[in-house]
Amino acid sequence: MGEEQVVREIGHDEYDPKGTLALIAVYFVILLVMWVFMYFVEFLGNELTVV
Amino acid sequence: MSEALETGTPSFMDRFPQEASVVRASLISSFISLFLGAVFGLIQALHRTDVFRFLDSQYYYTVLTAHGVLLVVSFTIFFLVGLFTWATVRSLDRPLVDIRYTWAWYGLMVIGTLMAVVAILGGFFPSTDISADVLFTFYAPMQAHPLFYGGLAIFIIGTWLAGADYFRAWYAWKQDNPDERIPLQAFMVLTTMLMWYIATIGVAIAVVVFLLPWSLGLLDSVNPLLTRTLFWFWGHPVVYFWLMPAYLLWYTVLPSISGGRLFSDPLARVVFVLFLLLSTPVGIHHQYVDPGIAEGFKMIAMTNTMFLLLPSLLTAFTVVASMEHGARQRGGTGLFGWLRALPWRNPAFTGMALAGLMFAAGGFSGMVNAGMNINYLIHNTIWVPGHFHLTVGTAVALTFMAATYWLWPQITNKPIFSRPIALAQVVLWFVGMALMSNAMHVMGLFGVPRRTAEPQYQGFDFVASFGSITELRMQLALGGTLLFISTVLFVSNIALSTGTPRMSGLGKQLSEPLSPAADSPKVLDNLTLWFGIAMVLVVLAYILPLASIITDSGIVDPGVEAVPMLIDAATGLGPIGAVSDAAGRLVAAVVGVVP
Ligand code: HEM
Ligand SMILES: [Cu+2]
Repeated sequence: MGEEQVVREIGHDEYDPKGTLALIAVYFVILLVMWVFMYFVEFLGNELTVV
Repeated sequence: MSEALETGTPSFMDRFPQEASVVRASLISSFISLFLGAVFGLIQALHRTDVFRFLDSQYYYTVLTAHGVLLVVSFTIFFLVGLFTWATVRSLDRPLVDIRYTWAWYGLMVIGTLMAVVAILGGFFPSTDISADVLFTFYAPMQAHPLFYGGLAIFIIGTWLAGADYFRAWYAWKQDNPDERIPLQAFMVLTTMLMWYIATIGVAIAVVVFLLPWSLGLLDSVNPLLTRTLFWFWGHPVVYFWLMPAYLLWYTVLPSISGGRLFSDPLARVVFVLFLLLSTPVGIHHQYVDPGIAEGFKMIAMTNTMFLLLPSLLTAFTVVASMEHGARQRGGTGLFGWLRALPWRNPAFTGMALAGLMFAAGGFSGMVNAGMNINYLIHNTIWVPGHFHLTVGTAVALTFMAATYWLWPQITNKPIFSRPIALAQVVLWFVGMALMSNAMHVMGLFGVPRRTAEPQYQGFDFVASFGSITELRMQLALGGTLLFISTVLFVSNIALSTGTPRMSGLGKQLSEPLSPAADSPKVLDNLTLWFGIAMVLVVLAYILPLASIITDSGIVDPGVEAVPMLIDAATGLGPIGAVSDAAGRLVAAVVGVVP
């Protein structure tokens, strides 16, 4: 493994993945913003589509 | 864990030399396909943007078929069998039962590929009647030469036998270890292969019962809606067949490369079981605009598809949490600061991490594709290739390339020729794909079609709400060119690695999960049970749609005539003629004779 310098061992019980939670929260916010954006671009910007 | 830090760990090649040869052969077949596919990709990117057209547009479909088949069938699946062979042998820690059998399935896959590729490339030579310009979806009534369907069938039989090889190895292992949990990598291989057995029922029937006999003249006609539905029965789960080897790498290799441990082994097993259960009963979501399938069935497919988001979101969580664990063990701190502690100089890490990031973006466009109503906005536009170049074209392809930098030394006992080039290569892929895929998505929203050699129309212009179509075209062409350069860097780096000096001690060990398999209920390892439930779900999802297609338009539809994809030899220039013609025009343009 060599290049993976571990400076401290973190076991199962001491590990709390809060950074992961933060990243996933950011992803969901981006998704939400994109959906709202899509509503403006695609639905308000175009005529009604009748299939 | 810490024993692994000492040098001199025996490599896979030291421990299983015969299996290592098969893995190497499979990867090399995969990379040859990748390189050829990228050549065709570059031609398309330059052609359809009108940056450089040296082939006559009627050959566009030969190019596009070759691109699709070489990349999503040969490149991905050869890599998969190589990786799965490695993963099975490594995790069960025993050789395969009979290496001659292993070479036999590899040989079948090679023969099948060569047959299909000959049929496709025949399209460049209008004087022969060999052609298969039917694209990788081979929808009837477009008809290919029998070599194409025959090659496909032989290739798939090869993959079935490969799966049986893994099951045999597992069975032998089980005799010696009756009470142990299936090692995680073997579990992933076996569940993926079970999914593949179910999925390929569809394509096997489409090809062997209908399309092959039809191309041989034994059957007068086929029912296009039926063969198309059977195609998509396979066509959605095949995307997970591409993705599962990437997931295997993200779950079992990426944590170690990040300096950490997999967050949870049981969660990984749950994800693979969910994919086995849910991958197949969703194929109809590719047919939202197909007439002849009731809206209700499409709704069911949409609902199943939304459930399928669950295992991918679970994966995002588990994989990122494992990376974070590595970063914190390496001394990273803070809510986001740990990201800096990740080993960004390691091409294997950076490639896989960037691949995962692009997959997250692909997740968004995938949700758009999956919604029955918003799908209409982007259906058959170039948005769709924009989407899957993020998923299979990057999440999968870039992960495979990045993982190769890690795996190759262990199956050859030779280090990678250049790590800096490797790092530049993965970053270049990311940049190139960001440009190409962004341009494709945006152009798709403006209605630019996919699968079109010359998407320009007389008396009609696509209107861009922002930017301009010309700008987007240039972006697509530039992105495609960077991707091509990245592929060349990858392939040549690996080729040059065959010349680096042989070393010992290149073996790498994988860290143990934080939460081990023993924490999970044993029923997770009951493959028969999951296979049974998956079959029931497939029957439920498909029995009614198939029955209604057959009652509406028959097993075969005599009204449908075959359309062989032949270019008229008299009008077709032939690629050589077209090339010299284009060269002539180029020279003339440079000289300034032609405006
Ligand atoms: C060198 C990098 C690549 C370039 C420049 C490239 C370029 C393109 C372009 C421009 C198209 C759209 C053609 C059209 O619809 O008219 C396309 C289609 C496609 N590409 Fe790529 N691509 C590349 C890599 C990949 C990879 C790595 C994969 C998968 C592993 C892939 C899979 C596909 C598939 C399946 C299609 C659709 C074919 C069809 O419509 O039948 N491509 N590619
Ligand atoms: Cu799908």
